[in-house]
Amino acid sequence: MIAVVAAVIASLVAVLIRWLPESASEEMDRITFVFWFATIICIGIFALVAAVIIEAVWAFRVQPDDDTDGPPIHGNTKLEIAWTVVPAILVIAIGVVSAVVLSKNANAGSDPLEVKVFAQQFAWKFEYPGKVQSEELVMPLHRSVEFEMQSADVIHSLWIPQMGQKQDVVPGITTKIVITPTRTGDFTLICTELCGLGHATMRAPVRVLEPAAFRHWLDEQRAAGAGAGAGGAGGGQSSGGSSAAGDAALGKTTFASAGCGGCHTFKPAGTDAQVGPDLDNLVADAKKAGEPEARYIEQSIVDPGAVIVTGYQPGVMPTTFGKTLSPAELSGLVAFLSGKEAN
Amino acid sequence: MTSTVDQHGQHELQQGHPAPRRRGIFMRPGYLRALWVTPLFFLIGMYIVVALRALAGWDPVYDWEYIVLVAGMVTAPIGFLLGIGTFDYWLYWVAGRPTLVDDHANHGAYSWKDYFKVNTDHKVIGIQYLVTTFFFFVVGGFLAMLFRAELAEPGMQFFDTQTFNGLVSAHATLMIFVFIIPAFAGLANFAVPLMLGAPDMAFPRLNALSFWMLPVAGTLFLASFLAPGGAFATGWTSYAPLASEQPFGQVFFNMGVQWAGASSIATALNFLVTIITMRAPGMTFWRMPLLVWANFTTSLLVVIATPFIAGSQFFVMFDRVMHTSFFIPDNGGYVLGYQHIFWFYSHPAVYIMVLPGFGIISEIISVFSRKPIFGYRLMAMSLIGILVLAFSVWAHHMFVAGMADWLRIPMMISTLLIAVPTGIKVFSWLATLWEGKIHLNTPMLFALGFVSTFVIGGLSGVYLAAVPIDIHASDTYFIVAHIHYVLFGGSVFTIFAGIYYWFPKMTGRMYDERLGKLHFWSTFIAFNVTFFPMHWVGLDGMPRRVADYAATYGALNMVISVASFVLGASVVIFAYNMITSWARGPIAESNPWRAMTIEWQVSSPPPVFNFDEIPQVVGGPYEYGVPGARHAVLKGGALQEAHV
Repeated sequence: MIAVVAAVIASLVAVLIRWLPESASEEMDRITFVFWFATIICIGIFALVAAVIIEAVWAFRVQPDDDTDGPPIHGNTKLEIAWTVVPAILVIAIGVVSAVVLSKNANAGSDPLEVKVFAQQFAWKFEYPGKVQSEELVMPLHRSVEFEMQSADVIHSLWIPQMGQKQDVVPGITTKIVITPTRTGDFTLICTELCGLGHATMRAPVRVLEPAAFRHWLDEQRAAGAGAGAGGAGGGQSSGGSSAAGDAALGKTTFASAGCGGCHTFKPAGTDAQVGPDLDNLVADAKKAGEPEARYIEQSIVDPGAVIVTGYQPGVMPTTFGKTLSPAELSGLVAFLSGKEAN
Repeated sequence: MTSTVDQHGQHELQQGHPAPRRRGIFMRPGYLRALWVTPLFFLIGMYIVVALRALAGWDPVYDWEYIVLVAGMVTAPIGFLLGIGTFDYWLYWVAGRPTLVDDHANHGAYSWKDYFKVNTDHKVIGIQYLVTTFFFFVVGGFLAMLFRAELAEPGMQFFDTQTFNGLVSAHATLMIFVFIIPAFAGLANFAVPLMLGAPDMAFPRLNALSFWMLPVAGTLFLASFLAPGGAFATGWTSYAPLASEQPFGQVFFNMGVQWAGASSIATALNFLVTIITMRAPGMTFWRMPLLVWANFTTSLLVVIATPFIAGSQFFVMFDRVMHTSFFIPDNGGYVLGYQHIFWFYSHPAVYIMVLPGFGIISEIISVFSRKPIFGYRLMAMSLIGILVLAFSVWAHHMFVAGMADWLRIPMMISTLLIAVPTGIKVFSWLATLWEGKIHLNTPMLFALGFVSTFVIGGLSGVYLAAVPIDIHASDTYFIVAHIHYVLFGGSVFTIFAGIYYWFPKMTGRMYDERLGKLHFWSTFIAFNVTFFPMHWVGLDGMPRRVADYAATYGALNMVISVASFVLGASVVIFAYNMITSWARGPIAESNPWRAMTIEWQVSSPPPVFNFDEIPQVVGGPYEYGVPGARHAVLKGGALQEAHV
């Protein structure tokens, strides 16, 4: 009796806890359904096991000096068949529900918004149709977004907890995932696959907007992107003093998009991470290395193992920036880091 | 027994062998010889590297990464094993020098010092395993408390992120490779030959070598903290291509796994041959205790699966040191290939870490309920069922990894089905309890604690098998909760249960029951408070393997951290109980639990060669309550009548 009461209380507690975050996507709605379907079965099984253990100890415990043996029951074929078949049916039921939900969650419908995702240590970049790039993930409400994801270096994984869906981003292949937001608001995208020392800070902001607001945002980005693109190209070609400021502006955005701040302190960018050397000391470090500042900075981005600042270890900073950054972005970064003010 | 050995030696000498020359103290097998042979072999390895580099004209000639890899992780450990004496007999034989087939010079422990030497007695090796693995358990637990201190509050307090990742990785690696897997090998080493009615394992010298490879593996894992750039920091899963790009500490993991794996495979082969060929007369497969069945299936898993992890770690390391591209996508490598090979071992490894525990629990529940195990044959067959299914579920670790979509449904179904044989075992234990005469001694408390926590771990496994839930829960703290309910609530509880159960047999003394119960309750409560909330923080959005996290999880993480320190402290009670009881506990009877299996029918501790005469098995191992039933009949001096 006491065992049954304990089991009922345990089950109630388990059912009343809000285990999952409040859903923000159609996919998460379905995941939540599977979760509760499995929970009801599992709670039942756990309650049964716990009740039997408690009841057995309660009813059949004997004094230490009791030398008698229990009844020599060796088995019961009917019972054994029952506890083979019944759990098999229950788990198959969970399997069928899961398979149905899985195929629904992978279906992007007839008119998905296609967003390309580029992941690298330790930053995310999103590209919308028309080559619009953003460091923030913005999604329209009630429209399926199909992500096509690529990694520049190691394995990362994309997850927005309230939206349930998760998918690794694997170098060498393109992976896909579908998310259909169901409420507006701000969320956080986090990397869930250990990707090196900046893993814990590899996050990106997520906003879900009404469709009209989303179109407006996209148009805005498109216009801004065209301007920045033209400016960047111009800055790369000219060599006058005025372009240095444009370079530095591109450098400032690159500093953020490439995730430099995940590891480095740099006051002009407002970052304070302490994994790698403090970039406010670049002048002194370059002098120590006996190289001109600009060359020292560029070399340290492209080939980080060339000079190691005292107190830091080689092999920590990603070596892929030489490949992933465009020449304009690289020269912009050098300009920004060597202290030329962005305007 | 020493005199017997001498007489034996004398006997051989009379057949014409020259007397072995008494060797100097630096030439005898032991630590002093290891002290100079190990550096010698380091130098040999070092100059092989240097000579090859000089011949090839590579700069620098003294490349310390390659020297440490070859000399430090390959030749110096061989030198250590050579110096300590694990190869002596075989080398004598190879060199054509006199050897005695029945050379028992290194057999049995006559003083505590013998436990620190190469020994061929399965009972001594069993205890060597348990003490060594307990050391790594304490170190691994200490590492866990360090990073729980960091995680107690959001933000960064004590460690930088690379050090944090290193602590997490080393914790998991020590616990899995040099605690749980070999601790079971230790318990089985002690119990299985006795339970079979065998005088020892089939290959006692191989058994000794298996044990001595273990400290090598553990030392390599720990030494990685001294490497430039810190310890390996890619988790115990060591995924490529990150693992090929990390600082040098990563190589210590790649090579440590090779030593632990070699030890594991050799032991498993030894168990298989012992169980197949050395059962006492009358010991049919259907009369074997379930612990023996469990180690039989576990050994099959080890022998089939462990070479896969060895291969995967070699390939990752070759990508780094030889610039191959097994898993480097730029040159045609296949990144997901690593995960497929890794999990083809590492999922069966979960069963390697829990099936022996199932065996221990079956013994204990039957004995302390005074009832035959319910459904003995189905219990044995469910082990075989798990063995087979274990090889068809590996990709459930990869539902979000980007592998072929069609693989997900079959892997989900096979994973869900593995719950069926596991369920059979749980329900059979419950039915064994029912109407029994239950004695709540410490082993039984740990057994019942195991059943309740392992059921939670098994059920959270059902959630993770369901692909849509797994997609949400993968790589979060839900996974951390699940694996600890399986490997701590599962494996570690059974290891404690087994140690308490066989402690009287191993040492000839009783442990302190009061301290044992205190240890159980503090462990059980602290364990649940530590790991149960992790289910919740994980589902709510906290990823695993992060040094910093969202502030909303601060309160629960503080609870988890505090409970984890209590859990750490509970181990002190265990250690105190074991040490003081071994030194001056009350003398144990030969059969304090009134068990029927053969190990309890000999003295505590058992004679050096186990039995004066090989026992005759006449019935099943769990015939409690059956009037006049016997499992085995033993004759001779120190032996006792089976309890009726």
